[in-house]
Amino acid sequence: MAETEEPGADQAPLIVLETMNASDSEDDCYNERTALVPSENPTVPSYSPDLDNHHESPSRRGVSRRAGPDSASSLDGEQEADEEELTLKYGAKHVIMLFIPVTLCMVVVVATIKSVSFYTEKTDQQLIYTPFTENTSSVGRRLLNSVLNTIIMISVIVVMTIFLVVLYKYRCYKFIHGWLILSSLMLLFWFSFMYLGEVFKTYNVAMDYPTVAVIIWNFGAVGMVCIHWKGPLCLQQAYLILVSALMALVFIKYLPPWSAWVILGAISIYDLVAVLSPKGPLRMLVETAQERNEPIFPALIYSSAMMWTVGMASPDEHRPDTDEEAEAEHRDRGAEPERRPSRGITEDELEEDRGVKLGLGDFIFYSVLVGKAAATGGDWNTTIACFVAILIGLCLTLLLLAIFKKALPALPISIAFGLVFYFSTDFLVQPFMDNLANHQFYI
Amino acid sequence: MNLERLPNEEKLNLCRKYYLGGFALLPFLWLVNVVWFFKEVYFKPSFTEQMQMKTYVQRSALGVLLWAVILTAWITVFQQYRAEWGEVGDYLSFTIPLGIP
Repeated sequence: MAETEEPGADQAPLIVLETMNASDSEDDCYNERTALVPSENPTVPSYSPDLDNHHESPSRRGVSRRAGPDSASSLDGEQEADEEELTLKYGAKHVIMLFIPVTLCMVVVVATIKSVSFYTEKTDQQLIYTPFTENTSSVGRRLLNSVLNTIIMISVIVVMTIFLVVLYKYRCYKFIHGWLILSSLMLLFWFSFMYLGEVFKTYNVAMDYPTVAVIIWNFGAVGMVCIHWKGPLCLQQAYLILVSALMALVFIKYLPPWSAWVILGAISIYDLVAVLSPKGPLRMLVETAQERNEPIFPALIYSSAMMWTVGMASPDEHRPDTDEEAEAEHRDRGAEPERRPSRGITEDELEEDRGVKLGLGDFIFYSVLVGKAAATGGDWNTTIACFVAILIGLCLTLLLLAIFKKALPALPISIAFGLVFYFSTDFLVQPFMDNLANHQFYI
Repeated sequence: MNLERLPNEEKLNLCRKYYLGGFALLPFLWLVNVVWFFKEVYFKPSFTEQMQMKTYVQRSALGVLLWAVILTAWITVFQQYRAEWGEVGDYLSFTIPLGIP
């Protein structure tokens, strides 16, 4: 299976391309390929692991093989032209399938930041992971403090990720499930309660406890059911988006300004290292999961495809859930490999639609970047520039995914573009446009 | 979770679990039940479990309606009379609007 997963285990957001298919044999590839007709075959592959034709068309169909990129390409010469067309179409479709949730998440965050002032109020309260304050007298001291904060935060994240990988290696599944359930509980109930309270205060409406209790109870309980058990796909995706947005808002509020930017940069580098280097924790996680032939673990992964299991007694650890742990910080990014329990089940045939998976941590950090641009940047120019930058980065990452067909970190390219665009727009483009407007000079 | 690939008994099972779960003060769960299984129950050719699923969906819809009525009534009453209730009103309030009406 050309699976690019995104183990978001705590932190490394990866992009996972799920191309699981029940059939392992090479022969089936033919069937799948020829059956790659949009209407019938549910297994719409997005990228194929064929390396031969890679150079021409980056996006290929995923083959249902689990062997990975080295599976021999069984494309017929004459079918190639058709398939290239098909694959490109699916490639674009999958990119759009990821654009929509990322955009929605960012829209929710930006809308909240612009309307509810709570999340942009200066507060001296900081997370314990960023103990150094930024209210210092000199610029140098402030910079030093933000770098120190970043170091602490990244070390916490590294430790948590390694801890998670160790737990996974030693098969302490119950512990991991419990941890994930706790963190999603906190997110779905506590953070949304706070959020609702702030929205009501902003719009100055009266609200009573019984109604709020019913609302939060319903929201949280249905969220837990959808994410951790079975529920309609749309609802599950919506909950994951909302939960990522909530987490991003918490980060935007409680991370000191300069530290936030340095942390964004550092986490992209960490992501790169953790996913691509041979000894990186996330890579080990993916490889262990692949060896054991099971889904990495129910964590936060947003999946754009559908999963269906036939005759399977699927375990309950289904849906990706937000990896936010009890602490706001631990983040999550969990794009953990999804949940397709079907992978672990050996019973009947399991078929899964191929789709692309993106870790929730990616959603969160993208939204943090755009949210901070909206909160502290000049005006809409900066926000929109960052938004476009992130989408371009995502596109490029998906392109790379099609080429390399293995788990890739989704943060580095997008965050790099986002940071560049933010700083250049804020410090160069913005004043330029303002000056032009002031002098009524139109170009 | 895609319903199309599930066998009928599992769909019935899911429908029933959602129905039973809604009794824990979860009208939203009932709503999800109705919306999700609506097509299965009304627009598909009949299958053995369809009758049972239909009853679950109908009762869930009834439950949603009932809850909607109760909640609307309570919210209306609260918004109208909150100021007049004085202390009890404040005690019940989660957020109190500022300023002079």
